[in-house]
Amino acid sequence: MTCASRRAWLIGAASVSAGALWPKSAAAFGEEGAFHARVLSLGKAERADDLSAARRWAWELTRRSSAPGRLAAELVRPESSDLLEEPFTVWAGDADPGKLSSQALRGLRQYLRLGGVLVVDERSKTKENVTFSEGVKRELKRVLPESGIVELPRQHVVFKSYYILDQPMGRRPGPDHIEAIVRGGMAQVLFLNHDLLGALARQGDNWAHPMEVNSAAAREQAVRFAVNLAMYVLCSDYKDDQVHAPFLMRRRLKKR
Amino acid sequence: MGSSPESFRFSEDLAPWAQGGVLILLLLTVALLALEARAHDRQRLLVFVSGVCAALLLCFAVLRPTLLTAKGNEVSGMAVALVDGSHRLEMPGEGARTRADSAAEAVKLLQSHWKNARLKTRTFDSGLVPKDEEGKHIDSSSDLLQALRELGAGAEERPQAIVVLSDGRLTRPGEVTDDGWEESVRQAAGGVPVHTVLLAQTAPADRSIRKVGLTGSAIAHQPLTLKLEIGCHPVESCAEVEVVVRELLEGQEPVELVRGTTRGDDGVAELELAVTLERAGGRVIEVSLVSDEADDVPENDVRIIPVQVRRDRLRMLHVAGQPTYDVRALRMFLKSDESIDLVSFFILRTMNDQVGASADELALIPFPVDELFDQHLKSFDAVILQDIDASTYGLDRYFPSIRSYVLEGGGLILVGGQTGFSSGGYAGSEVGEILPVELPLAGELTTRSSFTPDYTSAGRVAPLLRSLRTTLGEELPEMSGANILGRARPSAVVLWEHPTLGLPGQSGDERMPVLALGEVGDGRTIAISVDSTHQLRFGAIGAATGGRAYADLWSGLLGWLMRDPRYEGAQTRLEGVCIAGRDQVILVEPAPPDDVETKVTLEKLGTQASEARPLERIAPSETGAPRYLVRGLRSGGYAARVQLGKAPPTRSVFTCEEGGEAWSDSRPDPTRLARIAETTGGAAVRLDTISKLPEPTSTFVTARRTSTPVLPPWLWASLAAVFMSVHWILRRASGYA
Repeated sequence: MTCASRRAWLIGAASVSAGALWPKSAAAFGEEGAFHARVLSLGKAERADDLSAARRWAWELTRRSSAPGRLAAELVRPESSDLLEEPFTVWAGDADPGKLSSQALRGLRQYLRLGGVLVVDERSKTKENVTFSEGVKRELKRVLPESGIVELPRQHVVFKSYYILDQPMGRRPGPDHIEAIVRGGMAQVLFLNHDLLGALARQGDNWAHPMEVNSAAAREQAVRFAVNLAMYVLCSDYKDDQVHAPFLMRRRLKKR
Repeated sequence: MGSSPESFRFSEDLAPWAQGGVLILLLLTVALLALEARAHDRQRLLVFVSGVCAALLLCFAVLRPTLLTAKGNEVSGMAVALVDGSHRLEMPGEGARTRADSAAEAVKLLQSHWKNARLKTRTFDSGLVPKDEEGKHIDSSSDLLQALRELGAGAEERPQAIVVLSDGRLTRPGEVTDDGWEESVRQAAGGVPVHTVLLAQTAPADRSIRKVGLTGSAIAHQPLTLKLEIGCHPVESCAEVEVVVRELLEGQEPVELVRGTTRGDDGVAELELAVTLERAGGRVIEVSLVSDEADDVPENDVRIIPVQVRRDRLRMLHVAGQPTYDVRALRMFLKSDESIDLVSFFILRTMNDQVGASADELALIPFPVDELFDQHLKSFDAVILQDIDASTYGLDRYFPSIRSYVLEGGGLILVGGQTGFSSGGYAGSEVGEILPVELPLAGELTTRSSFTPDYTSAGRVAPLLRSLRTTLGEELPEMSGANILGRARPSAVVLWEHPTLGLPGQSGDERMPVLALGEVGDGRTIAISVDSTHQLRFGAIGAATGGRAYADLWSGLLGWLMRDPRYEGAQTRLEGVCIAGRDQVILVEPAPPDDVETKVTLEKLGTQASEARPLERIAPSETGAPRYLVRGLRSGGYAARVQLGKAPPTRSVFTCEEGGEAWSDSRPDPTRLARIAETTGGAAVRLDTISKLPEPTSTFVTARRTSTPVLPPWLWASLAAVFMSVHWILRRASGYA
């Protein structure tokens, strides 16, 4: 087999496998009922691969589950009425976002009061550097002054909404727990210190960033966690229903 | 006209104390004259007599005596015959006669026996029946105490005696007890003696359901204890008693709920049966004795009981074919309602999905379709099937069960999506049959073009969309597409329609339904062909209303599905008690506006579906409520539907019995009648001894009274002056001072 022919064969094989893995299109009549990972933008320099990570998030969800996902990623500004169009947004960064404008605060307040879910993804290089998270917490304190930040228990539904997981995972391991703002029994703002979008971002046909713990298993765990987050957004606490309890209990015991 | 004995009186313009004073003065004068006469010898008698006469005449001049004469009639005694007019009197009495026949004969006998008495006849049931209402309606109760009180409180002449004609099995007073029974009878009679005439002496050969007691509240899905008392005459017929309890449903044969046997020693058998009614709202159960032999009163072998079943919590099954924002919004709405007990099942993975993990690493469980739709379906009040492909997930195997579930009173909502309605294999199926719209089998099954639904005229007046319209007015969000739905079924109501698309395969002006409601059997169904109602919670409309519009829509839909009165247009109720074979009047309340067309239809429960017959409207009630006449209803349970204009109809149930409560115990009760008579000072007799009743005595009634002065006052005064003069002359002549 020549080099050219081998390259041609590899391209062909890649095409076949890509075809097999390419997600089905969103199943709603339009697409607005499908999962859509929108990236919150403050108009500053966004990391270029955040949108690719958002696309990959939806792609992985539709490939792995029956949930439809919208692959067209988009940026959404907090002061824009577009923020209120859908109930999910991810806000990523590695530096203090600064003081939000009053319009941005009002937009976020309305979004959260309608029941929207916001994932705050700290993407700084080290887990000790949490200036973005701290800045967001400060600003969200202005948005929802009555709501405190709590640590989600290990039994929280986000760890079992699709895959059975023990801890959150992203490009880097980060802490083994999630902090959140819980309102009306629902974790509406989830603070991740794991650079989840970094684990999902793509550059061409490759992953954009290496995992801090260089392991395919770690990236798989990060993708599974992203799928769980999406399922949590779509189904809320569905997996906490009593009908699931005995099954999940047995599987957790078996896993250990 | 006769006269009463005459009598004297002094003038009435003098107060009694003045009259007494005058008489005392007279006595003093006489005493002084007597003392004076004793002290003199000459003509003392003449002086004394003339003095007394003068004093007496002077006294009469002051008191002016009059002669009283009364004229009037000797009036014969008045009595009232109170005839028990309840439905119970139509039971067999003596021989071939009913007890009502005996009552009519008793009245004739009384009239002939009491020739000199004035006898009035009145009828009583739940009270005294007005004269102009007698014979026009019938009641199942016989409240003698109320009738006696009304008789005593009336403006008519107080009777000297009351004669009660009954079989003694009265509603009130109840069976004789020691505790205040006599006092209540005595108070009601108001001092008038109450005679009683027993209209039936022998009990018919009869085995009957005497009492049906419901212990506790009737709550859907929870067992309810039915306490039954079966009475037997002769007592041997209670040796073995079998009872069956069935539920009467609309459009199908009765469904047996429970069956039990018991035995009784003293002519009474008791039985407790646990009955579980799965559906809330107005339900009808039939309790009947199982027997090969008919007795003298077969009408009381069956009781048809309306039961108002309420919900402790609303049990709801929500099944979705895939998780979307629409599913999320509905789940969050359902979970936010504390009164809803929600069981959800969402298809999260298909066999084509590449999960990249072993089963143990997944938090997924198999879709328990068999468990949900075979074993537990009846335990749910409503089922929501949201965008789920019935063929792929084996749901179509349970279409017959789902159809039966709805016919027996369950609620079903089909929510659209790419795998809903015709795309999900529902067209031409048992579930398709019970939907409020027809489903196309072929052709385009969905439309992907965005559109904003229009309200239909029915949608604008439907109470279930009132809150949504209050919040949003005519505005609705743009929907991203819809399942293609066919024509609405005849009994269905379309609330939203497509702004441009017509019915599939049709060329007329009729537009495609988007949201439609229907009633089928005892249940209700809703078809909503879009998957974008979540935009009422989020999006521009959600933001403008704080998400309230979404709750308005779904509260209305679920409320209507569960027959919440807040979402019904009007209610119907019976005027009085329904007795089989008689005309009945149904009232519609509250009274709708005059310009709204009101239609009431009636359907018998426990029979195969038939075309509901519209009822004849008659003169409204005093409050203006529309009234509808039903002629000669047969025994059974009925569903009445009222539709105001084009709004969705409201259904309510009622029962009609041949015997009912009034016939539940066919034995006469002579003891009770005897105690009533004894307590009030009357006499208790039978039909054949009615002549022993004492006739009321006659009384003199004064018609006119005349008062005539014995002498005119001036004559009394003149005579007094003459005698005083004579007395003075005699005194002077006799040497008195």
